[in-house]
Amino acid sequence: MPPTPTRLERRGRHASGITLAASALSAFALVTACAGPPRTSGPGGRNPYPLSAGTPAAKGEIDSFSWALYAEPPTLDYVQAFDYPQNTILSNVCESLMRWTPQLGEQPGLARQATNPDPTTWVFDLRPGVKFHDGSVMTADDVVFSLNRQRNPDSGSAWANVFQNVDTIAKSGPLQVTVKLKTPDSQFPQYMATAAGVVAGARGVQAAGKDYGTSGSLDCTGPYQLGTWTKGQSIELDRFDDYWGDKAKSKKVVFKFLTDPSARTNALLTGEADGGYLIPTESYARLKASSTGTLYFGEGLSTVNVNVTNMHGPLGDVRVRKALSLAIDRAGFVNTGLGGSGTVTTSLTAKAAWGAADQATRQTALDGLQPTAPDIAQATQLIKEAGASGKTLTMATSSIGQDVSLLATAVQSAGTRIGLNIQLKTIAPDAFTALFTDPKAREGIDMFPETYYLSITDPMDLLTNFQTGSYQNYAGYSDKGYDDLVEQAVGTYDPAQRLAIEAKLNKQASDQDLWIPVAEWPTSLFMNKRITGAPTTISYMYYPWAADVGAAK
Amino acid sequence: MSFARFAVRRLLEMAATLLGASFVIFGAMYLAPGDPASFLLSGRSASPAALAAINSQYHLDDPFAVRYFRWLGQVLQGDFGRSIEYRTDVSKLLADRLPSTLLLVVMALVLVVVAGLALGWIGAVRGGATDSTILVTTTIAVGTPSFVAAILLQGLFSVRLGWFPTSGTGQGLGDMIWHLTLPAIALALYLIGMLARVTRAAMLEQLGSEHVAVARSRGVPERQVIWRHVFRNALGTVLTTGGLIVSTLIICTVLVESAFSIGGIGQLLELATTTKDFPTVQAISLLIVGLFMTVNLIVDLLFPLVDPTVTLGARRSTA
Repeated sequence: MPPTPTRLERRGRHASGITLAASALSAFALVTACAGPPRTSGPGGRNPYPLSAGTPAAKGEIDSFSWALYAEPPTLDYVQAFDYPQNTILSNVCESLMRWTPQLGEQPGLARQATNPDPTTWVFDLRPGVKFHDGSVMTADDVVFSLNRQRNPDSGSAWANVFQNVDTIAKSGPLQVTVKLKTPDSQFPQYMATAAGVVAGARGVQAAGKDYGTSGSLDCTGPYQLGTWTKGQSIELDRFDDYWGDKAKSKKVVFKFLTDPSARTNALLTGEADGGYLIPTESYARLKASSTGTLYFGEGLSTVNVNVTNMHGPLGDVRVRKALSLAIDRAGFVNTGLGGSGTVTTSLTAKAAWGAADQATRQTALDGLQPTAPDIAQATQLIKEAGASGKTLTMATSSIGQDVSLLATAVQSAGTRIGLNIQLKTIAPDAFTALFTDPKAREGIDMFPETYYLSITDPMDLLTNFQTGSYQNYAGYSDKGYDDLVEQAVGTYDPAQRLAIEAKLNKQASDQDLWIPVAEWPTSLFMNKRITGAPTTISYMYYPWAADVGAAK
Repeated sequence: MSFARFAVRRLLEMAATLLGASFVIFGAMYLAPGDPASFLLSGRSASPAALAAINSQYHLDDPFAVRYFRWLGQVLQGDFGRSIEYRTDVSKLLADRLPSTLLLVVMALVLVVVAGLALGWIGAVRGGATDSTILVTTTIAVGTPSFVAAILLQGLFSVRLGWFPTSGTGQGLGDMIWHLTLPAIALALYLIGMLARVTRAAMLEQLGSEHVAVARSRGVPERQVIWRHVFRNALGTVLTTGGLIVSTLIICTVLVESAFSIGGIGQLLELATTTKDFPTVQAISLLIVGLFMTVNLIVDLLFPLVDPTVTLGARRSTA
């Protein structure tokens, strides 16, 4: 995921992340089948920042470590946890029924096992003896309460769409919960590893009322419990001694809110913060050269794309979209926009999302896509054929981050080389956010940069965006064949079969350039010499990563 | 006009202006693109039921006038509503963040007053090379925006020398002062330069005036001449600048708080604006307008005390 995330990009990504129609997987099969992130760097070893599968394991316990966050979470209520800051913290405090692993697979979490006796039933058998932070013991009632809270319109849940195919959630034993679906949904069990599947103590949540998540305990089960929250400054987590699993290696974690990118980098360089994810792109070189600690990169399941928002203009012709895709200098963008960390791609979904797929499926999905190297001659020819020479297109840009502004510039220069006049429309950060949410804000705009990450290790999380009427289907793409395949994938629990369907979707969406894929963007992580153990992958959003952090020596 | 009548009149004026400002502030947020409901949903498509719940919870369906007067009524009772982004009462949000901003502004103000007056005084009285040096230094200070100063100070005193923390506010008064020293200097630099130049010019004007020459000819000690006849007379101009200085300090905290990651009002305003957190933006805007007016009022009321030749309410024409 992106170094300098911005509110807008994040929302966009996220939004789509969750808008997943429905689809599925036999959670367990998928889970175990899921391969880890790629261990190698970009093509030809050109990537100066190779991806690491992990960091050295901690050697021992420490009293405390501090972590830089680019923003303060507005609330830590799990139903609102859809953004980086809240999830980076919450993943250590609140646990879900399932667990995303550092290798981006799925494991049992608070549920010992999940089974589906028939396609529309999911049964979660709960782990016995799990204690909430207030000392009470987790029961099926807490699970029913926590999941139903996501479905209650009054809670304004960010995860409501995950539950759209859910008919009932009911206790079927003291430690058993049964979810009945209206139709088979391969995505639902996968999302039980995200904040959508968090279990909090019913009593605690009810007692806190509308203040839940903003003050007092979160009444969850994780290895850490919420400590002092100094608004505007920091959040402390204290180790929870009655934790059911392996106890955390540090007694305390202090999250510091460092909104300014250079302040964040300085804090890492001076040791005021021991580590952090989401390192500002422009600081890669300084941190890499620093003797203070180590800069790591890991699988982010993120792609940087040009989101096509208007099919009524020249972009309505697939030849024009394809020509633009052929003309973009992807390698140049990776070097400048992503600080050299990242790999060029013409696939909408990251390669690691296909980790569980067999060879044939991966070939369908990823091979034979358009080349990543520019082909100006062919692109110019396509523009001529489409009769689009000299036509004007508008691309939105903003000062929110290098990835956005430099991608817009790259597209503009691509246009110039193939006979398109691309005007950049600079939009204030808050208005840029509105592009994701407000059709009026998108009027007069043909495309804008969007970075998108998957919240689960399943390409469906992105591919549903091109279904007819889907929320992020801004271009209004509608294809009966595509819609049917989405429905099929949603209804297919077997991962191999489902991925085979998804491969066709990925090929079609990428070939159609519904969004123009540009690059894969890894996660970034910095830790100083004192500490080690944090995972390098985007799993930190839902995996209790801080519990693994301890002494480096 | 008696002092009491003047004060009452100014207070009424202030109330009327605040009312006008409240209308502008409340209205302005609705003209910008995007609506709070869509931000609340963070770009997710919502079921009609969920949308209706949000709209009714935040009264987003009511006509503008109804919403405005409901809000105004609550504000008059000290209730600024509930933050959309932070899911907590705005008054609580402000109370959590005001101390660091106030301390920062006070520290910067002390720096500005002490350093600005001293430099202006020394430049005017000493003249020569000292004056030239001060002029050059203050010119540079005036030309340096506070966020640039912030980056320079951070690079030198935090990263290179390690004397001060790079960011944050700290716990307890001593620690807070240590954390806020660099931000306060970054905030104050421009205004120190400005105040020094204003003070210097006003004192030079007085130094060249007749009453100073008369005082000197009567053998009044130079120290007394400078204090009583030059500085006190120059103070009127300086005081007028003072109002402007406090206002600038409050506004510039937005930039400096971001640069040093100080979780104060300025940073909160920036975040709330980008997330369309109407109640928070409205409360902070109103608070800032109120502070401006209070500072202006205090300057107006102090003016006749400093300079008895000034008639009440006539400051702007004389200054």
